[in-house]
Amino acid sequence: MPNNAFVNFLFLLIYRHRVKHSAIFIISTLIVTLFSSVMLLSNALQKEITSTLSAQPDLIVQKIRSGKAVDTPMEWADGFGEIRGVKSALPRVFGRYFYEPNGYYFTIVGIDPFDTQATEALERLLKGLDVKAFLSQDSMIIGSGVKTFLEQYRYLEHYDFRPPHGGRERVAIFDSFPPESNIVSNDMVIMEIDLAKRILGIDEEMSTDIILTVPNELERDNVMVKLILQHYDIRVIQRDEIAKAYKNLFNYKGGLFLLLYIIVLVTFVLILYQRYSMISSTDRREIGILRAVGWSIKDVIKLKVMESLFVALFAFGLGLLIAYIYVFFFDAPLLGALFFGHGNLPGDLQLGRSIDLGMFSMLFLFFIVPFIAAVLVPVWKIAVVDPVEAMK
Amino acid sequence: MIFLSNEVVVFLFIEAVLLLLMSIAFVNTLGILRRWDFGSTSSLQYKLEKRAYLVVLIILFTLGFKVLQLPFFSFTIDKLSAIVPGAMCGAGVITANEYGPLLMSLKVVILFLTGVWLILNDEDLRAKEYPYFKAKFWFFTIIFLFVVIESILDVLYLANISILSPVACCSTIYGAVGGSELPFDLDVTRLLVLFYLLYGLAVITALYRYALISLLSNVLFLYVSYYAVVYFFGTYVYELPTHKCPFCMLQKEYFYVGYLIWGTLFLGTFFGTAGAVLKTIMQKEVHFTYRYSVWFNTIFVLLCSLYVVVFYIRNGVFL
Repeated sequence: MPNNAFVNFLFLLIYRHRVKHSAIFIISTLIVTLFSSVMLLSNALQKEITSTLSAQPDLIVQKIRSGKAVDTPMEWADGFGEIRGVKSALPRVFGRYFYEPNGYYFTIVGIDPFDTQATEALERLLKGLDVKAFLSQDSMIIGSGVKTFLEQYRYLEHYDFRPPHGGRERVAIFDSFPPESNIVSNDMVIMEIDLAKRILGIDEEMSTDIILTVPNELERDNVMVKLILQHYDIRVIQRDEIAKAYKNLFNYKGGLFLLLYIIVLVTFVLILYQRYSMISSTDRREIGILRAVGWSIKDVIKLKVMESLFVALFAFGLGLLIAYIYVFFFDAPLLGALFFGHGNLPGDLQLGRSIDLGMFSMLFLFFIVPFIAAVLVPVWKIAVVDPVEAMK
Repeated sequence: MIFLSNEVVVFLFIEAVLLLLMSIAFVNTLGILRRWDFGSTSSLQYKLEKRAYLVVLIILFTLGFKVLQLPFFSFTIDKLSAIVPGAMCGAGVITANEYGPLLMSLKVVILFLTGVWLILNDEDLRAKEYPYFKAKFWFFTIIFLFVVIESILDVLYLANISILSPVACCSTIYGAVGGSELPFDLDVTRLLVLFYLLYGLAVITALYRYALISLLSNVLFLYVSYYAVVYFFGTYVYELPTHKCPFCMLQKEYFYVGYLIWGTLFLGTFFGTAGAVLKTIMQKEVHFTYRYSVWFNTIFVLLCSLYVVVFYIRNGVFL
């Protein structure tokens, strides 16, 4: 174990060479910050999406005609509900309503306020709804993104939808959702089911799709087979598949960044190697004196490795801290857009703060290993300098 | 496609860096082994002695990080189970193609050799006249060859995991369906008797420092412990009699306890067997390994037993 005098000397040395170290320290910190913030962000978004998806139905059935999803007859749900293992089968009505002038869309969701809701999330959103007042006229509940958007265009009381069959539907704004539920409801417009069908142009006895709740995981494959036996022209989507598809997408984006980043890292390592390989005459004299007073080559190597390790660890710690603050306290401005995209009404995103052991060790290994690898050979080169020659 | 999973990219990158450094060390090692003459005072010998410092430095660094890479590898595999269809934990991913199980065993072997090298190096540096100098460099060349094979397998294995074709889940591999898969027609009771008996044997041989018997008993103990953990103690970790899996316990839900269980088992049996191996290489007894062996084996056995005891106290029944 290094004793106190050794540590003391180590810090003295680092302090003396602070100009030389500070340049490397700053670049290292930047590099760690960049990498960590991308990884933390991608990880946090994945978690967010997983938790949103867990509120999604187990199976979704769509009717397919010529390769495209078309409206599904509502009566199919009765047949599906009789399959063993299916807890419930509910037809859903939803769709996108485009606001032409700037290409944004609302997600219109039709509900039957007297029935159980299709998802738990909806159920939670609609808890405590005054059904009588809601149904007394054509009215809707809107997400906060929609609210901001409509206010901007001075639609404060109602909005005129234009159904595909012509005419117009005036719908009163009944209420809006709190911004906390943004990830689910930001662009959502909720209205009575028949009204939603009129606006979306869905026939009376049709629905957008049918969702099934199958509590037993092992039963899902069986249920899928039975569904296909009932109707051959359907597509069944499993929730787990959606989750995996999302994971793949995020890994893809993160991985693409990572490949580019590796190039940066390799360049950095080369610079580091060059920087530490330059042995100045003061360095030489320093090592010469140490050797002359009885230090062995092993001791000098230890000293020099510790010196670099100290800089690396400190840069890593600081970089990680900055990344953490940037992602979780400031919600990653600029970088967030890369992952999240701006397809629709901009919504604020609150990321859950999390960093797990595996994440930490990945970041640590990815930075420390190349860093130390780069300094090993230069350190050795300095340490084996001939003391007699060095002091000349 | 699997190359674009973040952990895999990082893992392979680090493996590549370590392999590069080890190659530098390997080339230098060959030169040292060929022309080393401790009695000579030529400038060549002087140069080689300086070079030896570099080689030892690099080996220490790379092997040290190789040790850290194994848990990181398990973690990577575990993460992949979220992407590979059908996999619930590392067990499915590691059996996704024929390279997986081979790679995993090779990694454990390399870890074992690494441990032996580190002890050998330590003993060598402590002695005045570097008595095991050549032995440790020969030993390193063997490790290097293994690492080269490992790196090739790394790439082959990770590149050949398909994200389209589903793999088996751990309950299929370790036979929750269809009877138990224990070796030698053992049943769980006999397995447990054997487990504790072998533990006793390993402790006794370590206390009396019988190198060869200690080696044998620890190898057997490792083998039996693996089955005991998968088929008996694991079910208490998961608190579910049908859940038999060596990988799930590495996950967060079980507080990463798998790393502790497998880690102590490895360390215990490693120190138990390393004594005999070191004795053959160095022609000398190393005593501290036996002490460590007893410690780690005991921690491992206590940890496993504790899960059963705590479960019994809490629920009043065995699984």
